[in-house]
Amino acid sequence: MPITSLKRALAASTLAVAAASPALAATEIQFWMGLTGQGGELLSRFGEDFNKSQSDYRVVVSFKGQYPEQRAAAVAAFRAGSPPHIMQMFDAGSGDMMGAKGAIVPVSEVFKRAGLQFNPADFIPPARGYYGLPNGDLLSMPFNVSTTVLFYNKDLFKKAGLDAEKPPKTWPELIDAAKKLRSSNAAACGYTTTWLAWVMLEQFSSRHNVAFGTQGNGRNGLDASLTLTNNPLLIRQVQTLVDMQKDKSFDYGGRSNDAAAKFISGECAMLTQSSGGLGAIARDAKFQYGVAQLPYWPEAKGAPYATTIGGASLWVFSAPNRTVAEYRGVAQFLTFLKSDKVMTEWAKTTGFLPATNGAFKAMQDEGFFTKNPGRDVPILSLISAAKGDNTNGYRFGRWTEIRDVYHEEVEKALQGNQTAADALRNTERRGNALLRAFERTAN
Amino acid sequence: MERKVVFPQVGLPYLLLLPQVSITLVFFFWPGGQALYMSVLQQDPFGQSVQFVGLENFRLVFADEGYLQAVWRTAYFSFAVTVLAMVPALALAVMADRVVKGGTAYTTAMLVPYAIAPAVAGVLWLFMFNPSIGVLAWWLKAAGVDWNPTLDGSDAMWLVILASAWKQVAYNFLFFLAGLQAIPKSLLEAAAIDGARPFRRFVTIVFPLLSPTTFFLLVVGLVYAFFDTFGVISAVTQGGPAGATETLVYKVYKDGIHNLDLGGSAAQSVVLMVIVVALTMIQFRFVERRVHYS
Repeated sequence: MPITSLKRALAASTLAVAAASPALAATEIQFWMGLTGQGGELLSRFGEDFNKSQSDYRVVVSFKGQYPEQRAAAVAAFRAGSPPHIMQMFDAGSGDMMGAKGAIVPVSEVFKRAGLQFNPADFIPPARGYYGLPNGDLLSMPFNVSTTVLFYNKDLFKKAGLDAEKPPKTWPELIDAAKKLRSSNAAACGYTTTWLAWVMLEQFSSRHNVAFGTQGNGRNGLDASLTLTNNPLLIRQVQTLVDMQKDKSFDYGGRSNDAAAKFISGECAMLTQSSGGLGAIARDAKFQYGVAQLPYWPEAKGAPYATTIGGASLWVFSAPNRTVAEYRGVAQFLTFLKSDKVMTEWAKTTGFLPATNGAFKAMQDEGFFTKNPGRDVPILSLISAAKGDNTNGYRFGRWTEIRDVYHEEVEKALQGNQTAADALRNTERRGNALLRAFERTAN
Repeated sequence: MERKVVFPQVGLPYLLLLPQVSITLVFFFWPGGQALYMSVLQQDPFGQSVQFVGLENFRLVFADEGYLQAVWRTAYFSFAVTVLAMVPALALAVMADRVVKGGTAYTTAMLVPYAIAPAVAGVLWLFMFNPSIGVLAWWLKAAGVDWNPTLDGSDAMWLVILASAWKQVAYNFLFFLAGLQAIPKSLLEAAAIDGARPFRRFVTIVFPLLSPTTFFLLVVGLVYAFFDTFGVISAVTQGGPAGATETLVYKVYKDGIHNLDLGGSAAQSVVLMVIVVALTMIQFRFVERRVHYS
């Protein structure tokens, strides 16, 4: 038996090789993605669709781990001389990638080398601002664009005697709703959040047009520092969470995406999460849910401002032996990904925002946003809301590490082991040490 | 009188040694040397600006309050894991030693956890103790325990200690069982005739004769807790909350892979290298000498 099955396997693989051999003549383009689940499956399918649409290039989409692991693998591959052609990197990794000047080729430059047309103005303004250079060139291509939204459980709202069609707009309203959800015993936890630093530091600051670093939140120079210590609004927000944690009107759900499970299981009635988290909620939640914009403090001057961008973008690596043909393949695949057809399917399925104006308009024209209430919320929050000096995002090196420093210090505050002010003071001190270390090596 | 085997050709012994030597060189000396080399450099992740900084990385490591806390945390964690992996293993081995029928099946069943990958073991425990969906977490809550490893540092620590110890019980069990079976039956019978009850026989005869095994397992257990528990911690807590489960080896991983601080991470792994060399020397010096007792 084993011998027969081995023979059969050999025969099958020979056939597979024979079938695949015409494609061997095509130039191979390695694409590393950091997504799993629905998003990852769809992205792999886009690769296959592209391969079927032409015969000069063959895109190989692979998953090498979550963003940080994948980045480490790409760093090792780059040092060995064979990095992937394209790598998807999340927002927080952007500062590091921008600092790696010799390792990446700006996307605008890739198209120039390939001799293909590329217009950065095709992309929605917040994405262009976040991933662009002052001269308008794009460093990386925005792909999965998201922003923070508030998901809430309508069933639990009704159970607590709250108006299920009136989600909280401000933090005081959210706190009241959360307390009511707890005191009426409608839910075990009122509110929780994913991506603590992204929501409570980055998005929160943008929402109130408050800076959390010097040099235009790090966008104007590597010598920027964090300014968290004398930031009353940021301290107040952490203190709010610490106070709410005591009666579980807020319940901390862990770093990254972990807290989404607490919302989906019905344990927590409200969740701040990336709009890209919609797909999983739509698939798994066994209750009616609604979507609202990120709450704000009404007494903050001019609030609410726009939230800022999240998600990930596509970076192109340079390597000593890259050919023009390879850059042309990369440019063609990127053109395919930013086409209205692909972009609209991507946005509709996953809950990410359309990254291009064209796809956005196409979705508007077919009435997608009116037919699917709630899907316009991230767009209203990101694009239509008021802009200020501090709503264009930030750019810091070693930011993934600084996010974890923030997580660690705020966790200590939530445990009751330090005050909110201390948490932010320590984050600033440790974060600035990391920024100085980055400044030293990034030249 | 010593008898030496002399190979007729000069090349053959070297040829026979070659596989082992090359594996050692490629998988131990090369990476070890790389770590030493990188520990005296500071560089950006992509290796575009590299500068020699001498012992600066080591100075930074030891000046970091977080590192010193991690040293104590690791000592606490390793000691707890080792003890919790040895005591139940000894108890189970003593009982297995008495099983007359089906002893092999019982022993085999005991060994299964050892074959489970650390990350899988971690996920298993994570699910059982997950505050939202875990069965055991539900029982704990029903019993009035405020179980929350997501935010409570000591809950998280106990979770990774239990998961790590559970995996190692099987290994310890096997060695204890072998040790027990090597104890001459005549000694035990003589003691029994003299009127010593089972517990007294265990305290005065079995446990002293097991001491080389116990010491060996202590050292192996410490090395395991120091270095091999990374998978469990990575799967269960990622070093959190607030760094409560960040051990030295997890910190090496986090600083090297997540934070891409290659110099700092290399300096930390050199420190770990020194620790493991010290532990191995202790083991050679005290265990290997006393292992022939029968």
